[in-house]
Amino acid sequence: MSGYVVSRRDVLRAAATGALISTMATCKDGNPPLPGADGFVPGNTLPWTNWADTESCTPARRVALDAESDVLDVLARSPSPVRPVGSSHSFSGLVPTSGTLVATDLLTGVISTDPVTHQAEVWAGTRLHELGRLLAEAGQALCNQPDIDYPSIGGATATATHGTGLGFGCLSSYVTGLTLATPSGELIECDRQRRPEVFQAARVSLGALGLITRLKLQNEPALRLAEVTRVEPVEDVLDDLTSRFNSNRHFELLALPHTRLCVSVTTNEAKRTDVAHGFDDPHAVYKLRQVYRLVRWLPGIGDSTYESLLRAFMGDSASTVRVGPSFEVLAHHRIVRFREMEYTVPAEAGAACLRDILRAIRETPIPVVFPIEFRRVAADDIWLSPFQGRAGCAISIHQYGDTDYTPYFRAIEPIFWRYEGRPHWGKLHTLDAQRLAPLYPAWRDFQDVRSMLDPSGRMLNPHLRKILGA
Amino acid sequence: VCLLANDLLEAASPELNQRQETLLRVNCVQCHAVPGLGAPLIGDRAAWQRARERGEEALLRNVLVGVRGMPPMGYCSACTEADFRALIRFLADLPAQTRTRQ
Repeated sequence: MSGYVVSRRDVLRAAATGALISTMATCKDGNPPLPGADGFVPGNTLPWTNWADTESCTPARRVALDAESDVLDVLARSPSPVRPVGSSHSFSGLVPTSGTLVATDLLTGVISTDPVTHQAEVWAGTRLHELGRLLAEAGQALCNQPDIDYPSIGGATATATHGTGLGFGCLSSYVTGLTLATPSGELIECDRQRRPEVFQAARVSLGALGLITRLKLQNEPALRLAEVTRVEPVEDVLDDLTSRFNSNRHFELLALPHTRLCVSVTTNEAKRTDVAHGFDDPHAVYKLRQVYRLVRWLPGIGDSTYESLLRAFMGDSASTVRVGPSFEVLAHHRIVRFREMEYTVPAEAGAACLRDILRAIRETPIPVVFPIEFRRVAADDIWLSPFQGRAGCAISIHQYGDTDYTPYFRAIEPIFWRYEGRPHWGKLHTLDAQRLAPLYPAWRDFQDVRSMLDPSGRMLNPHLRKILGA
Repeated sequence: VCLLANDLLEAASPELNQRQETLLRVNCVQCHAVPGLGAPLIGDRAAWQRARERGEEALLRNVLVGVRGMPPMGYCSACTEADFRALIRFLADLPAQTRTRQ
């Protein structure tokens, strides 16, 4: 998610003039203690838990891969299932294993760059925050990137992670070649010419085909961007979506439930005259919740009072401007833990789908205030990409990490289904292979490659068996 | 921020081995070298005072379980218990044999 505004029109700051602040100061920020590793005894095997604390495991063996030469041996000799892990940011059960957990933290860095084609070969474990800096040193930048830079490039491409922008595909669509170590003992270099069927399967493969060690990326010359964040009426923005996406390099909106407002985030190449102001408050979503809790009990006027407070204190002029190298501007710090569900619906259905979600939240009503993210991603031809064959609007709903997300997600997920939504592989959803297969025209092709490369299913944990039907 | 982290890494070399320096650079600096997030910053001894008082065992538990904005394991799936302990000692400026208060 990008650019939550609360900065100079920060509700807390404005509320400091009244009794509001004293009440709000009693609201508790932060997440409760997480149970994952509570039972850990020093000297014993370390547990693993994902970022959102929705998945955990205690693997029989942990491997920190630091050389490509070791990878085939690890795949051949380690207990199954063998599961790779990057930054542990996936909400879904892609990683947990009772067998072998292969960490890629040490498989990091840029291997080579080409100043003419703006391509680079990188180690798959390289985290995006480091990749941005390293590419900049070589005069390159990722063409687009998600709004957090904690993930590894290997994990992000394995799950078709994306940013936003009419002309930009998911990260996997910028992979021009890769090296894949398979459980059957091959180290395969593939691209559109060499082993093209492996390439098409592996670009988005959930770590189900083996371990991807290297990626070749099509980048662009390093650039500076300016991001402008505003608060606007959500219907005005939805009515103007085509123009917003057409006339800006990157655009997204964050609808604010229980209001008629949204935060719009517009990002373009920086001009010399662009000046940064305001700041990207990493605690902003907690402050929204504090305000909502303060007024939602008001009989019949809770929502309108909440919206009035946001309008009064957030205003409708430009709130924040961030200017800098693209890898810094596109990334945002996220220190509020949450759980997330995201589906991509056909681009032309995006606005209707978002309106249905907002209506359901309002009419049910569902007491959620976490902004709903709406992004646009270009079509690609990758077999398991949610953007395969169609441009999409990726709509993400979130719930705070200390709140049960299941009632909210259960209520909204069927709306995504009505619009032929495809779930983000790394986020929460309830679909199994039977429901997923009809969404992907090349489903069978992927399964054939998977069976060929890993006939005994050494890479498959229970979650992968469920969603792939293997 | 990266320059700061690199400078501090150079200063840290006696305490961290090369592997641990990489783990620090890949994981810890994402928050502990970024002002404004609420995480105590590398090299800011005063900001780590409370953590130092809690001791290495309590900090290890915080890292494994996650605390406030920090996720479980501080993003580091490659870290062994020894790595976590070395990184905690470096960040909090704790001596190797700290007695702990649970």
